[in-house]
Amino acid sequence: MRNLGSNVEVETPPSPEVDVLNEVTKPWQVMILNDPVNLMSFVTLILRRIFGYSEERAVELMLKVHYEGSAVVWTGEREKAELYVQQLQSHQLYAVMEPVD
Amino acid sequence: MVKNDDSTWTLSKVSELEHLMLSRLPDSADPTGCEEAVDRLYPSPIAPDAEIDGDKSFTLENDWKEFIEPDLRSDFRDSLKVVADDLGKSSMTKEGDLNQYEFIIPTAHANHWCSALNQARIVIHHRYDLPSEDGLLDMDPNPEKWMATLQSEIYGMLMEFLIKKVLWV
Repeated sequence: MRNLGSNVEVETPPSPEVDVLNEVTKPWQVMILNDPVNLMSFVTLILRRIFGYSEERAVELMLKVHYEGSAVVWTGEREKAELYVQQLQSHQLYAVMEPVD
Repeated sequence: MVKNDDSTWTLSKVSELEHLMLSRLPDSADPTGCEEAVDRLYPSPIAPDAEIDGDKSFTLENDWKEFIEPDLRSDFRDSLKVVADDLGKSSMTKEGDLNQYEFIIPTAHANHWCSALNQARIVIHHRYDLPSEDGLLDMDPNPEKWMATLQSEIYGMLMEFLIKKVLWV
């Protein structure tokens, strides 16, 4: 917001640079969607291997996927999210990503 | 299945039926002709309900198809090739009137085996439109579907063993 006088305020449109910055810095979340085929032990193994999660954390996330249909397994910058989705998909896990609101 | 000294595992006393199922593994993992299986093996990287504008979504999906999907396809093919080679080295023994088979799985190939078994399970599930575990008892009495279910279960058991005994750290 920019002040143009005593009591007049005009909304300033964001500059293109700010848009680009937001696009780059905006966090993305990596999610695993439920799948009737993948074994629970396999999902747990892959979560431990890719993210280095403890067995307890990996099991917790796996169960969330199983019972709730999906779980956010990681949040962070977009490039890294893409890498994680690729790694998860290379193990045939149903992995996707989306920007965080 | 027993662990050998030289970093290999022996899968022994494999029955004729199990041998038949295992020998079908590389072909069963081929999703050709089953669009649902292709879509599941190579899904879009974008969440179905993601709030992302159309242009960005289009670009990301196109980049994914151009740069990532070929790598995934190549990885999956490599695993199937390794497993097909291992399967080709099976040996047969006679136990009375019955044939029994033996496979050697090198520990270094365990990840390839899991990949191949999982690919096949996914393709079988979609090709035969199998229900989830909960719906198995209500499944139509369709011999083809039951055989596909059995095949998938055998692959699942072997995969479970590899995960728990070979790959778990």
